[in-house]
Amino acid sequence: MILDYFQYEFMQRALLSALVVGLCAPTVGVFLVQKRLALIGDGLGHVALTGVAVGFLTGAAPVWTTLAVTVAAAVVMELLRAKSKTSGDVALAMLFYGGLAGGVYLTGIASDKGIANLQQYLFGSLLTAGWSEVWTIVIGGAAVAVLMLVLRPWLTAICADEQYARASGLPVAALNLLLLVTTAVTVSVSMRAVGILLVSALLVIPVVTVQQFTRSFKATMFASMAAGFLISGAGVLTSAAQDVPPGATIVLIGVAAFVATAVVAALTRRVRRTRRGHLPPEGEPLEVELPAKA
Amino acid sequence: MPVLNVRGATVSYGGRAVVRGADLAVAPGEAVALMGANGSGKSTLIKAVAGLVPLAGGSIELFGTPQKRFRDWKRIGYVPQRTGAASGVPSTAAEVVSQGRLSHRALGMPARRADRDAVARSLAEVGLADHAHCSVDTLSGGQQQRVLIARALATDPELLIMDEPTVGVDAETQAALAKVIADRVDAGCAVLLVTHELGPLTDRLDRAVVLADGKVVHDGAPPRPVGEHADPAHEHAHPHANGQGDSDDLWGGK
Repeated sequence: MILDYFQYEFMQRALLSALVVGLCAPTVGVFLVQKRLALIGDGLGHVALTGVAVGFLTGAAPVWTTLAVTVAAAVVMELLRAKSKTSGDVALAMLFYGGLAGGVYLTGIASDKGIANLQQYLFGSLLTAGWSEVWTIVIGGAAVAVLMLVLRPWLTAICADEQYARASGLPVAALNLLLLVTTAVTVSVSMRAVGILLVSALLVIPVVTVQQFTRSFKATMFASMAAGFLISGAGVLTSAAQDVPPGATIVLIGVAAFVATAVVAALTRRVRRTRRGHLPPEGEPLEVELPAKA
Repeated sequence: MPVLNVRGATVSYGGRAVVRGADLAVAPGEAVALMGANGSGKSTLIKAVAGLVPLAGGSIELFGTPQKRFRDWKRIGYVPQRTGAASGVPSTAAEVVSQGRLSHRALGMPARRADRDAVARSLAEVGLADHAHCSVDTLSGGQQQRVLIARALATDPELLIMDEPTVGVDAETQAALAKVIADRVDAGCAVLLVTHELGPLTDRLDRAVVLADGKVVHDGAPPRPVGEHADPAHEHAHPHANGQGDSDDLWGGK
């Protein structure tokens, strides 16, 4: 049956990489969603294309040139956001356009590698990833997840209420930068295997799926890790059974999970409201004096 | 030595001076209101004190240290004005209040018993002990404001800075908050309170500083209510300053 596919080593590698990205990406994503920067992963992914093209051009390993370029872009973006009047979404738009154009332009100069080669990074190729790539993902993913879990209270504070965080003397600029650099590392380490589309989807989808039912930040973080793990696993198994690209299958399952939970959450809220169960917020007395009845 | 000493502070936004040469001092254990009409610069001056907007001129000293070199922010509890910025991921009241303890913790270190106790104590002080594990966006506007005050209390501040803490809060909660603040003042905490109205919180002030057009026009005894405001039976009723009551607040709640 399905498990028969996993006697092949390439399937084991694909499953392992997808599960690790599914488990680790939401630990970063939960802060990005909190900060209303859900699209930043995708934005840095576009910049990663420029990094890949730099690799083609210079002959260096794409993973290192990508890391350098995305981290540099993350730093520039954060400086723009913090120091100038550029708003987050304008800076993001610039990343999208500039990153994609830079990738295509530089690949054009390095004419022996075609645009098709670039596309492989956009959608990834889980099935052709070698063990060294899998280990890069495992080590990178573990480092990112541990860092995010340990710094959770501080990162929550700067993402939820940056002004308060600054007034309480937290190193806000450094933490903001750390979050963006971590995002850049996550994207560039996992993109060769799982693709830019998939990694940015796994940053966001598990988080927005589970937050419809969670009450605390901590629960959201752990539940989204579980959700990312399950979605990735289900995606790889489904794609093996149907012989379709795993990356796209994982993303589609994630989107379906989000839509399904959004509908269920809306329905439960309605049921709770019409029946009893959930106490409404305690009422506050009217601040006006009602005119006496004649 | 005053806990806060502002000398000739000038703050400008895009070349327009909003605060112009303001002096403001708060002694240890003193309760001071910073008053003035909307647009008089009182919130801006407070933000400059909290280090959120830069000074264009003048100086600020906190606990005798120039603000630029001041690192001991855990001695200051700050209650920001509620804004329309909604947050995306749910947080419980206890999680929000525990942000107030971060300045006591070394980066990456777990919370200690003292931190957890301070969070529980502050939530109890503002009457939200039962709501510690409720998501803040299911709380009412007044309750959310109390969560923000509990967060500032959790730092065990020696100076409590509050920016319009009673906007959008009903009279009963205002009275309860006034009691909480009064207890802290009795325990030796200095309070700097921005407000544009007199109410329960302003009853036990030592002093009021009134700003008009960015300048200090009064520094001394708190103003007394005049006209119909002086009538004890007067019910203070007006649309809230943010124009939309309790909806669309800091936590994106209803």
